[in-house]
Amino acid sequence: MNIRFITILLMIVGIQNFSAAEDLRKIVSLSGYWKFSVGDRKSFAEPGYNDGNWDNIKVPGQWEQQGYNEYNGFAWYRTNFTIQPVGAKGPVYLLLGKIDDVDEVFLNGKKIGSGGHMPPDYKTAYNINRKYIVPEEYLNFNGNNTLAVRVYDCYLGGGIIEGPIGIYTDDDYNLLNYDLSGKWKFHLGDNKQWKEKNYNDELWPSIRVPAEWEQEGFSNYDGYAWYRKDFKVPAGLKGNTLYLIMGKIDDYDYVYINGQPLGTVFDLDKDNEYKRRGFEYNARRIYKIPTGMLKMNEVNTIAVRVYDSQLRGGIYQGPIGLMTEENCRLYRKKHYSNQSFWDFVIEGIFVD
Amino acid sequence: MKTNFRSGLLKAITLTVIFYLSLNGILAMDMDLVKVKSLSGGWKFSIGEQDAWTSPGYNDSGWDVIQVPSPWEEQGFHGYNGFGFYRKSFTISAEYKDKNLYLFLGYIDDVDETYLNGYKIGSTGSMPPKYVTAYNAKRVYRITKEMLNFNGPNVLAVKVYDSYDAGGIVSGEVGLYLNLKEIPLEISLEGQWKFQPGDALARKSPSFDDSKWKSIIVPGKWEDQGYRDYDGYAWYRKSFTYKGSIKEETSILYLGKIDDVDEVYINGTKVGMTADHFGQEGQKIPTGAHYQALRGYYFSTSLLKPDQKNTISIRVYDSGGEGGIYEGPVGIISQTKYIQYWRDRKKQYR
Repeated sequence: MNIRFITILLMIVGIQNFSAAEDLRKIVSLSGYWKFSVGDRKSFAEPGYNDGNWDNIKVPGQWEQQGYNEYNGFAWYRTNFTIQPVGAKGPVYLLLGKIDDVDEVFLNGKKIGSGGHMPPDYKTAYNINRKYIVPEEYLNFNGNNTLAVRVYDCYLGGGIIEGPIGIYTDDDYNLLNYDLSGKWKFHLGDNKQWKEKNYNDELWPSIRVPAEWEQEGFSNYDGYAWYRKDFKVPAGLKGNTLYLIMGKIDDYDYVYINGQPLGTVFDLDKDNEYKRRGFEYNARRIYKIPTGMLKMNEVNTIAVRVYDSQLRGGIYQGPIGLMTEENCRLYRKKHYSNQSFWDFVIEGIFVD
Repeated sequence: MKTNFRSGLLKAITLTVIFYLSLNGILAMDMDLVKVKSLSGGWKFSIGEQDAWTSPGYNDSGWDVIQVPSPWEEQGFHGYNGFGFYRKSFTISAEYKDKNLYLFLGYIDDVDETYLNGYKIGSTGSMPPKYVTAYNAKRVYRITKEMLNFNGPNVLAVKVYDSYDAGGIVSGEVGLYLNLKEIPLEISLEGQWKFQPGDALARKSPSFDDSKWKSIIVPGKWEDQGYRDYDGYAWYRKSFTYKGSIKEETSILYLGKIDDVDEVYINGTKVGMTADHFGQEGQKIPTGAHYQALRGYYFSTSLLKPDQKNTISIRVYDSGGEGGIYEGPVGIISQTKYIQYWRDRKKQYR
């Protein structure tokens, strides 16, 4: 993210109305009373841990205002919920709002995300809205689910302090004709060979797309990195003009299909997308695929070269996949019609 | 929410607000004081002020005797405004050797600086020329037991400045108190520490030679202990023998409050910090509300070596005003007791 937005943020604090960056729909609300204890034990993450004698605390809210005035250090939050099979396309998200300062999140005992950096080399993330992908295989659709959040607060207000708290899906994914979110191959650095279709990326680590790479274990990395994914075009899409939707990318991207350049954020003005220096991270990547670039009956390879100048980086927001011309028109209309430049700026700042 | 109050002015305003809030309940919430020794009655008194009068050995036999608490204007000093000095000798039973005591002086009109056996233990308000009254503030000063003499007399010396009207230690149940709500630390680390201004990361190492360093009492502001007007970096070191008394995996190093920011090492291993970041040696760093934060650093008990010398090293950076490990208590507690302490506090909050 570019530092100049902080300046703009300072200029427009106080503006409360902003449009949603994604089309998120809540499927489980998690605000209300959670179990709470100060302290820090590994067993607190376990779904079977008996938290019966723990305190009840309101989420969201600062613990200082709920009987823990002056407490700094570790504390844990736990809650239970049930969930119906999701049935929607695309990723499932856990939103925890703002957490002051650092958190680690466990669903049914398995870690699904973290923000900031735990001590001793503490680093706050108090002003970051927490959004974690929930791997569907970790969810129990036939009974209880346990969410446990380990929080570290260094000073002043602490805890899960504000924002919508719950489990969400992204309705934008319903417009995809083919979903390309999920596991991609990922490599830090920069090498022109990595765009080639026949390049062997077997040894590359996997990464979830969309997600900030900081949340995927590549913390504090700024610079170049490459994403790659192989896929086959479903037969039903044959003969359609197709668009590759790459969500939003922080900061710059160069997209290749089968070794051929498809587009970059710097071309997007040709498609009437926003193109303003410094706002690249907030532009929706919509690339029209030229006829013949995709092979219909064989594996195709997408390679995305990303450059992040500072802070958050990577293909951080969906939807990711293929759309037909008609769905692409609906997608554009949903997000860009009647939207002023300032809505665009505000969207970029307030909803990350 | 975090806010960086970078300007000294804002910090001063915040201090003032916190100070007045503390009068009206916040302090009371964390304290449950019971009197163990009354200090009301006759005290030695003289108008004027001299540095020598803070010394326990000073001969005050020629001074007047005045009743405490009571305004001096009602005891023969009618119409006197300016400096006045109170001195009181007392003994304390050895049964309080392992307790943390507080001196309660009630209300003082207008400003005071209070010394115990020559150690400055607190002050409220501001003396001239930058005079600020604190006539409506309760004086509660923590006493580090290393300052006390359990086998003989102890001397309290209170320097007071009054701008007009009553003057002096005017009201309240003056005496020594125990705080029943005090955190039950299992290992106390208060008292004499080694202290050295400046900054060098080598000082974190347990093998670093601090034998030439000066001593300082922890907790206590360094301004009160010979480092008047010092701002910037300083290191504290404390070596002690750990008897292996804590059987739990995780313990907490409790340090009370530090002005402004700190980075803490146990036997050379960093266990925590209260700062947005620490940089290279001597680098200026931003500070905000850190000086108000209670420090309780979780660490693996296995960092402590039983029956051997253990060393805690604390790097402190003070951006301005008062500095150091100033509040306490200071020591180590097992996690189970620490969790219980905070749960009990919560119950009292209800």
